[in-house]
Amino acid sequence: LLKLSVLLFLVSTASAQDDRLISGPGSTLTENKCKICHELQHIRRLPLSRGEWADNLKNMKERGTPMDDAEMAIILDYLATYYNREKPAPPPGPDTLFSEGSPIEKLLAANACSGCHSLDKRVVGPSFREVAAKYPAAAANQLIRKIREGGQGSWGSVPMPPNPGLSETDAATIVAWVLQQR
Amino acid sequence: MDEKRRQLMQGMAAAGALAASGIREAGAQAAVPGTIDTAEIKKLKVPAMEYHSERPLTGSVPAHAHDFDVTPNDRMFIRNNLLIPAVDIDKHRLTIRGLVDQERSWSVYELAKAFTPVSVQGMLECAGSGRTNFHPKASGTPWGATGGMGCPKWGGVRLADVLKAAGLKPGAAHVAGQGVDPGMVATAAPVIRSIPMAKAMDDNTLIAWAMNDQPLPWIHGYPLRLVVPGWVGSASTKWLATLTVLDAPFKGTYMTGSYITPRHAIEPGHKMPADVVSTEAWPVKSMITSPAPNAKAKAGAPITVRGRAWVGQGQIERVEISSDEGKTWQRAQLAPAGDPRFGRYAWRTFTYEHKPSGPGYVTFLARAWDDRGNAQPAVSTWNPLGYFWNGWHRVGVVVEA
Repeated sequence: LLKLSVLLFLVSTASAQDDRLISGPGSTLTENKCKICHELQHIRRLPLSRGEWADNLKNMKERGTPMDDAEMAIILDYLATYYNREKPAPPPGPDTLFSEGSPIEKLLAANACSGCHSLDKRVVGPSFREVAAKYPAAAANQLIRKIREGGQGSWGSVPMPPNPGLSETDAATIVAWVLQQR
Repeated sequence: MDEKRRQLMQGMAAAGALAASGIREAGAQAAVPGTIDTAEIKKLKVPAMEYHSERPLTGSVPAHAHDFDVTPNDRMFIRNNLLIPAVDIDKHRLTIRGLVDQERSWSVYELAKAFTPVSVQGMLECAGSGRTNFHPKASGTPWGATGGMGCPKWGGVRLADVLKAAGLKPGAAHVAGQGVDPGMVATAAPVIRSIPMAKAMDDNTLIAWAMNDQPLPWIHGYPLRLVVPGWVGSASTKWLATLTVLDAPFKGTYMTGSYITPRHAIEPGHKMPADVVSTEAWPVKSMITSPAPNAKAKAGAPITVRGRAWVGQGQIERVEISSDEGKTWQRAQLAPAGDPRFGRYAWRTFTYEHKPSGPGYVTFLARAWDDRGNAQPAVSTWNPLGYFWNGWHRVGVVVEA
């Protein structure tokens, strides 16, 4: 039984990590914005023409994706290059449009945290500074659980989606950093 | 037990629409704030349910798991744009506003008491049902060949009665439903769809609280939803809290950016043109629900082909089966239509007996006709969002010696 649960854990972690797009200029931003609401398989399964992607992005923006025009332009170029039904994708390459940040910035970006939270401004959810001001260091475990399981009510009625694919270790790293942002 | 609950139970028990114990249980669970976990939703579904996506949760059963005259709750498809809210039935209210003589509001209990409860069997089908049949591939939830529909029995009150009670002002032309389902982000647009007054006044259009004599399951809109049978599923707003009477179709992304098709057919693979129409009633459609694909039969023994046929406006006139790839068609037996006041948009069961001439493989095709002369096409008109697939359904059977 222990073996089975370890196996299941590995399978579930693997599938969460596998939910990625082809690496290339703009792939990180695209992943971060799209992952806020849906799995990336919706992109992988269906290459579209550039015009269809433009319509699709316009539709997602109307539905509420937090992204500005400059970000939309990057995402459109990326999708029309790597997921285009009219031409094959180039081989994967480095995401030259993604500025390599500190390990914590990478963690925040890779898990779509930055879609809704920033250091000092309210985007969709509270800023990290607001969170740090509200919770004492002793609340770390509570916050780790909130990040992984999702939550609602502490900052209004908008729920925070759960992040079951985020490991406990990574969640702890994020929380330790957030609580230092006073 | 307080007075309002007693009244509710009396009212609903009289209608046979809702098990009193069921609503108590569900109500107790609804005290949990926030949203319902998808794992809880899946527990209430049959193992045959095929999921295409976890976020948002989408799933349906294949045709051969749909072999029921009335779709059971645990086989009804799942499709949702936002999160699944945990609603407290004791606090939930329905408000009607806009072009009405008087803005009014009811609790679920008051609604059940104020209006005549009715029970209607009716089709709900996602606009993109069967989407993966389209080539080239179309954008959206990848419903399988027959995925994304069902025909349960709904219990509630007629939307028409509620509209009449509020009193329509001159110019009232559309009714928009809005639910309390929250989005993933604060900027998420609410899912608002409106239907024209004629459909809102149809005696099969309901504000429902029951599904097959049970309280609505969480995922199907507990505690209150619109049921606009025969039309694309998105018209049937779940977790319904607000009805707004308008002088024109609602303008919002779920009316103008989604659930639209080109007014005139376009070259497959091309983007949406400027001239579009909003999706409304489903065209004539059918599926073979038995036998299952590649089932085994014996040469000489008859094979009973059974299925379901439906249309979003008008009536099913006949269903035909072909066992020679569409060269010839034979008429299937069609179950009689029920009382149109309580099932005008219900699917109808058809059966057909085929005697295989010898061992081999036989492929059955089903084609339904409506009473306006429309038949299912072999292949439906391509459109960018992959809506309204109603091509012939095919099921093959292995005939053993």
